Amino acid sequence: MMAAAVAAGGAPEVIAQLENAAKVLMQRTNYPETERMSSKRAIFLHLILKLHHLPWSIMNNASMLSTYSYHLENQNHHLLFASIFWQTLACSILTALLSEFSSSSKTSNIGLSMEFHGNCKRIFQEGDLRQIFMLTVEVLQEFSRRENLNAQMSSVFQRYLALANQVLSWNFLPPNLGRHYIAMFESSQNVMLKPTELWRETLLDIRVMELFFTVHRKIREDTDMAQDSLQCLAQLASLHGPVFPDEGSQVDYLAHFIEGLLNTVNGIEIEDSEAMGISSVFSNLITVFPRNVLTAIPNELFSSFVNCLTHLTCSFGRSAALEEVLDKDDMVYMEAYDKLLESWLTLVQDDKHFHKGFFTQHAVQVFNSYIQCHLAAPDGTRNLTANGVASREEEEISELQEDDRDQFSDQLASVGMLGRIAAEHCIPLLTSLLEDRVTRLHGQLQRHQQQLLASPGSGSIDNKVLDDLYEDIHWLILVTGYLLANDTQGETPLIPPEVMEYSIKHSTEVDINTTLQILGSPGEKASSIPGYNRTDSVIRLLSAILRVSEVESRAIRADLTHLLSPQMGKDIVWFLKRWAKTYLLVDEKLYDQISLPFNTAFGADTEGSQWIVGYLLEKVISNLAVWSSEQDLANDTVQLLVTLVERRERANLVIQCENWWNLAKQFARRSPPLHFLSSSVQRTLMKALVLGGFAHMDTDTKQQYWTEVLQPLQQRFLNVINQENFQQICQEEEVKQEITATLEALCGIAEATQIDNVAILFNFLMDFLTNCIGLMEVYKNTPETVNLIIEVFVEVAHKQICYLGESKAMNLYEACLTLLQVYSKNNLGRQRIDVTAEEDQYQDLLLIMELLTNLLSKEFIDFSDTDEVFRGHEPGQAANRSVSAADVVLYGVNLVLPLMSQDLLKFPSLCNQYYKLITFICEIFPEKIPQLPEDLFKSLMYSLELGMSSMSSEVCQLCLEALTPLAEQCAKAQETDSSLFLATRHFLKMVFDMLVLQKHNTEMTTAAGEAFYTLVCLHQAEYSELVETLLSSQQDPVIYQRLADAFNKLTASSTPPSLDRKQKMAFLKSLEEFMANVGGLLCVK
Amino acid sequence: MADDLDFETGDAGASATFPMQCSALRKNGFVVLKGRPCKIVEMSTSKTGKHGHAKVHLVGIDIFTGKKYEDICPSTHNMDVPNIKRNGLPGKGRCPRLTKIWGAPVSFAEPLPRGGVCWAWLRGPPLALQLIGIQDGYLSLLQDSGDVREDLRLPEGDLGKEIEQKYDCGEEILITVLSAMTEEAAVAIKAMAK
Repeated sequence: MMAAAVAAGGAPEVIAQLENAAKVLMQRTNYPETERMSSKRAIFLHLILKLHHLPWSIMNNASMLSTYSYHLENQNHHLLFASIFWQTLACSILTALLSEFSSSSKTSNIGLSMEFHGNCKRIFQEGDLRQIFMLTVEVLQEFSRRENLNAQMSSVFQRYLALANQVLSWNFLPPNLGRHYIAMFESSQNVMLKPTELWRETLLDIRVMELFFTVHRKIREDTDMAQDSLQCLAQLASLHGPVFPDEGSQVDYLAHFIEGLLNTVNGIEIEDSEAMGISSVFSNLITVFPRNVLTAIPNELFSSFVNCLTHLTCSFGRSAALEEVLDKDDMVYMEAYDKLLESWLTLVQDDKHFHKGFFTQHAVQVFNSYIQCHLAAPDGTRNLTANGVASREEEEISELQEDDRDQFSDQLASVGMLGRIAAEHCIPLLTSLLEDRVTRLHGQLQRHQQQLLASPGSGSIDNKVLDDLYEDIHWLILVTGYLLANDTQGETPLIPPEVMEYSIKHSTEVDINTTLQILGSPGEKASSIPGYNRTDSVIRLLSAILRVSEVESRAIRADLTHLLSPQMGKDIVWFLKRWAKTYLLVDEKLYDQISLPFNTAFGADTEGSQWIVGYLLEKVISNLAVWSSEQDLANDTVQLLVTLVERRERANLVIQCENWWNLAKQFARRSPPLHFLSSSVQRTLMKALVLGGFAHMDTDTKQQYWTEVLQPLQQRFLNVINQENFQQICQEEEVKQEITATLEALCGIAEATQIDNVAILFNFLMDFLTNCIGLMEVYKNTPETVNLIIEVFVEVAHKQICYLGESKAMNLYEACLTLLQVYSKNNLGRQRIDVTAEEDQYQDLLLIMELLTNLLSKEFIDFSDTDEVFRGHEPGQAANRSVSAADVVLYGVNLVLPLMSQDLLKFPSLCNQYYKLITFICEIFPEKIPQLPEDLFKSLMYSLELGMSSMSSEVCQLCLEALTPLAEQCAKAQETDSSLFLATRHFLKMVFDMLVLQKHNTEMTTAAGEAFYTLVCLHQAEYSELVETLLSSQQDPVIYQRLADAFNKLTASSTPPSLDRKQKMAFLKSLEEFMANVGGLLCVK
Repeated sequence: MADDLDFETGDAGASATFPMQCSALRKNGFVVLKGRPCKIVEMSTSKTGKHGHAKVHLVGIDIFTGKKYEDICPSTHNMDVPNIKRNGLPGKGRCPRLTKIWGAPVSFAEPLPRGGVCWAWLRGPPLALQLIGIQDGYLSLLQDSGDVREDLRLPEGDLGKEIEQKYDCGEEILITVLSAMTEEAAVAIKAMAK
């Protein structure tokens, strides 16, 4: 009837119909006339308004609307296939409705408060949403029973499937809105399905999940629909929360789900478009369901589940490798493979729920298939396609391309973990594969050499065999590295327990001497050593990599460097660094049990460790000489060197090597090949050399060492700058290089600072700093040198200021002040308005701000004990404090503020550094702020305002943190006419609006709250006024009352407000309640 | 005469170019590309295949003509680096002890002069020569030593026109002179500080 009317009528009739439809819908709601009612009406009217504005589709939309009510009225009548047209319209309007309610970000802007949106969403999700879902399920059921759907019906089917997906991806609001109202603001990406209890009956109905499995089986060949059906299944796989009454129901649900899943996945050939969806289903199950629930399902079922996961992982891995060979743009299998490997990591990490060895066989399979995919034929399938070996063209690889070890770090971490679980299988496997490749590589290089000797200059050598070997070794080293050791950042690296256990378990069968022989003879074939099979497998794996390294070194000695792979060189030193961090001089105290072979081979005070240190050092020195032209390799090499000396125990061994002293001398001479190294490598090398100097040595040796390492640096530098014609030759390339090398070395020295060497290093560096200031003047037109000079100061301040006592700190402040003065003089009137300028042209400004921030950081982190560390280095002197941190920093700020323009704040690094700096200043020297010159003061206040209103939330937080000390300062000064006092009044209004009226980030509540409270204390009358104004603008008496109550409660615990901590804490607590209670009420969208 | 001697000794042994391993070159440094002295404005590396050796891709701007040159070479190769000099002639060496920085007294009593450093260069190198005349297409430049050199051509193009125009208007200007690989030219001008 309605349809006819709509079809026949023009626009006015349509509106009338809409209103009719609205009435129908309203009447169906059985709720009393409460807020619920009105909210619903508002949304509905809004929807009508929205339709009103879309004239061309008025017809359709009108029909949809009526269809919605039609559906709701007739859901029990099976008239679902009455009209395809009708179905489509109904589905469209339901989708639109869902969007409107789903989250605040999708809601249209019609001036409703956040709280209102939240309430509507909650009402909707418990009532209509469930009805829509049930309706959808019914429609899908109907479709799934049908054979031979025509195109039109398929299209409707698809729409409903998408609708189901939308419902299942709903971001459910918890029952009591409370402080969770914020959840509405959160993104709707990757929402797990966590409905309320009311959904129990609907979702725990086994038929519902079965339906989705059935639907998927039916449509899985349709790429688009399969995405939706798998997404529905993935959502159902993530079901958790109050919907489950107890653990038993969770176990039941999981068991049914896994059964359905296995029935769907087993025995089919997976379509490309299914890979990602299926891996999400597995991943969600493993992430969401607790281990005890997983293990509570029938054993056989769980085994099948893990078998299926294993099978899929291996198969996706192979397909991912194929994708790489074919260079596909869309790497669906790679993504799916990543996800499954990640799930494995989750699954095996908490393995106490499973009996020991439960996953071993699976781990072996996944590990084997990974290795297989990465090795060349015949052992592996790398670059194999269905038609045979794909000859990949040698592509150009830019320096920006990430190294495999970073690009695939997640995969490698999972595979390494699985390798440990199946150590019995995997460690010997890696060993034999590596040993085999070493022998082949050696042979191949020898053949090349003979060829070169026979016909020198014949040039064209086919490198295919070599490249294949290099690529094999590359992957084997990466996997070995991830298997034997973890990525560690900051924490003490430990030998993985599985590896330790494995070694201990076999230690009785192991011959220690042969093990040491295998380790100590990298030049010989492992299998040529008698009894080689009775050696510790872990040590043998390490020695296999040392054998690779040895072949590389010998090839270099034989002048075959051009045939070697820098990538493999990188892999070797990367591995050695990782290994050395964890295993070299293993600290018994860190382990319950320690493997005897480990302890004998590389424990403290062993010949083995001394030998390895010597070997590694030789490698480092050879690499730095040979590979200076390969930046990344040189960088990894010098990192290995740092690892060797950064711990005192290892450094003690290092300095006993003659090579170390040679390296130091060679570097000090600044002659080839070391001075070919890139500046960052030279810097790190200097750092390593300095760190090594703090190893245990007798006084004479130490004296001698510093004479070798540091003195030449000083001498060379003085020689250069003291030349009479220095100012004329300063721009000559050689001179500039000398200066640059010195400055880089100074940065390296600063980087090597530790608490026990700061006294020596600081005194040494101070001598340079004053000279550097002179250089600022000489090189004032050479920005890169100026930047480097400032960088030296930045590094010294960064690494050393926290250890400096008063008088030393003052020396540094003085030097910094002079630096700033020179900088300022040289920048006077310098124009910086180049609109096309890139960020790096402001490097100097960034560095200056960094320097000031570093100087200020002493106020937060200070390890100094009034020059305690310097005692004995010079007679105590009474510090006459002529320069303070405040002087330097404020001078610096005077300098920086005028140079910082709003345009510059567009550069993120400048912006963040700038706000960090001004916040630090406000926090540390609030008393200095009112004394600033007027224009500086203004621009500082403007910066704060800008930071709060239109920058990132990080910056906003910084600004809020700056307000508290400023307001406190005002309270202390009690000058009600100062400009700071007036400024804070303005900030009160800003913070008030931010908290009460705007969408607001919970992370900021504390910072905003503290600032707010201090400002309220300062401006009580203004605060009352703000509250009054806000209340008086409320027309709704209910809202008025709620707000008034909330404001009363807010300040109840702190009346009259005063700046003591207890009251402040009480206020912050009340503020939290206030935000939860009315925070969403006035925030309008 | 003494000045001339300084000049001789100061320049003795300096060749037009010196070799440097390609990987050791730096952005903003100088290099000879296609026989021309260039300032390096872009430098990147790449390799052919995962196991290939690094190659360096250099983009340089000719310091005299402003023309762009590019080159790509294995990073182990040696490249020629031009010896660049600004304003050609060295001035007299001076070595007063430091008591002031840029005319203002140093604000703290002792610490600055250390280790017998010669602070002469605190005043900075002569950045440019003062233009005192233009004759037959040649510039007359006043050197730090007080001598006048008149062997430098007025540059062609916009820079030359600008120099002429400013000179004709009676503006006092300074000229920066660069020399490298037997070539010498005025490359920039700026107004003289009052």
